[in-house]
Amino acid sequence: MYEWSQAHHELRAEFAPWYEVLSEGHLDADNDPGSDTDSDGGSPIRKWEQVRASGLLRLPFHTEWGGRGLDLLSTMYVLEGLGEGCRDGGLCFSICTQLVSAGIPLQRFGGPELKARYLPGICDGSTITAHAITDPRGGSDVLGMGMTAKPDGDDHWILDGDKVFVTNGPVADLIVVYALTDASLGPFGLTAFLVERGTEGLLAGPDLPKLGLRSSPLGELSLRNCRIPAANVLGRPGLGFAVLDHVMRWEILCSFIVQAGAMRHRLDRCVAHATQRRQFGRPIGSFQMIADQIVEMKIGVENSRRWLYDAAEGVVRGRDVTTDVAIAKVVTSEANVRSALAAVQIFGGRGYLAETGLEKDLRDAVGGTIYSGTTQMQRIRIARMLGLKESQT
Amino acid sequence: MDITEVIREFVVTEYLPDTPADELEVDYDLFRNGVVNSLDLLRLISWLKDQFGIPVDELDIVPENFRTVAAIRDFVESALPAPAERTLS
Ligand SMILES: Cc1cc2nc3c(=O)[nH]c(=O)nc-3n(C[C@H](O)[C@H](O)[C@H](O)COP(=O)(O)OP(=O)(O)OC[C@H]3O[C@@H](n4cnc5c(N)ncnc54)[C@H](O)[C@@H]3O)c2cc1C
Repeated sequence: MYEWSQAHHELRAEFAPWYEVLSEGHLDADNDPGSDTDSDGGSPIRKWEQVRASGLLRLPFHTEWGGRGLDLLSTMYVLEGLGEGCRDGGLCFSICTQLVSAGIPLQRFGGPELKARYLPGICDGSTITAHAITDPRGGSDVLGMGMTAKPDGDDHWILDGDKVFVTNGPVADLIVVYALTDASLGPFGLTAFLVERGTEGLLAGPDLPKLGLRSSPLGELSLRNCRIPAANVLGRPGLGFAVLDHVMRWEILCSFIVQAGAMRHRLDRCVAHATQRRQFGRPIGSFQMIADQIVEMKIGVENSRRWLYDAAEGVVRGRDVTTDVAIAKVVTSEANVRSALAAVQIFGGRGYLAETGLEKDLRDAVGGTIYSGTTQMQRIRIARMLGLKESQT
Repeated sequence: MDITEVIREFVVTEYLPDTPADELEVDYDLFRNGVVNSLDLLRLISWLKDQFGIPVDELDIVPENFRTVAAIRDFVESALPAPAERTLS
């Protein structure tokens, strides 16, 4: 597996002091996510000012725009530290969405003018970003979406439709909206648009209550006759599918390496607990059944890290990683749910209490099997890459 | 087999199992006729990389390069380094 240099260790250590600050008060935020609702109805992202100050949002962007210029693997290495150090899973999720939703495709597919306009604000966090792929009709079947874009003269498009489950949506300043520009072109019918908050006809709904990741705002968007300049298309019309594929790779690798970090933290915590907590005159870790669960947690961490870093190395080397990324996503998201459930069990009654933070971890983990492509869709992708036809999967 | 035949056979085997290979016209529109969906396209790209050793950049993924068997052939030919030295299995 990839070898980390001294410079990588130092880089990771540079961000470590922030994690205590970012974690502070996370249990209260989970119990009462809307408590710091501001006047215009959206809940600000908790601790956003500290996140901005930390410099985490700059990691993968060129120095020209105020970024740190890190490659994918180095970015992930720092983010693994975030997962290990920061106990607020929702905040980590919002940070990842900020990193990948608009900045990453803009850096890859945007022209110089678009980059100069938006990337500095994305790097310093003054521009909060989101991406809106899922709509009420098209979830797993992205090309079945109802959101359409029609040309309006030569230099504008009109977007019409609704989006659901938009992470950061209630507070976002800049949203990448995916729309169908020509349904008859199959995969080439999809286009990605940069849409600014304040665009006439764009309405962002409130933060919706949910199972986990409660400090990460999530909401609906409605776009009615929204007139968007053609210059705000990422790449070119019809390239939305390639933009989405690029973004999904980054999203999976970055947000799930955060989870691998969180799993590592949880493992250490369970080892410590199983060593200290005694029953029947012995530490509970000396019972084979407890040790087994902890061993499974360890295997889950190592498996996830290997798949994620290996897939990322493939991206950097230009290997085809369609299957690898899908496997990494299934392996990590499912290992995270098992690990969180095992931790609740190992802590017994204490694990079930909100104050221990472990039941929150479990609720947060469940989301990972759904967003960025459900477990089922990842398996379909793997089957398809093996050459198995739809009717056989 | 020449490049066109290799591509035609892959497309037929993968996406049109009920069509005999020689009945697929090289200018048959694979998108308008709903033959290739987005997962199919990913597999096609992955296959092109393996089969011909050409890296497909995301910016090359334009409909003009993948719409028909002939278009895929032209794309592969333009991406291959030296046509004269090429050997295909
Ligand atoms: C916490 C969270 C954050 C999210 N953030 C964002 C975001 O920022 N932006 C965004 O656009 N979306 C976001 N989503 C939405 C997410 O990507 C979708 O929920 C997901 O893609 C599934 O789509 P769906 O909810 O419409 O479910 P559906 O597609 O309706 O699927 C329902 C069930 O059917 C299964 N299914 C569907 N098709 C098949 C098939 N062919 N074979 C077998 N099973 C199938 C699915 O796996 C699932 O179990 C988020 C979701 C969550 C939970």
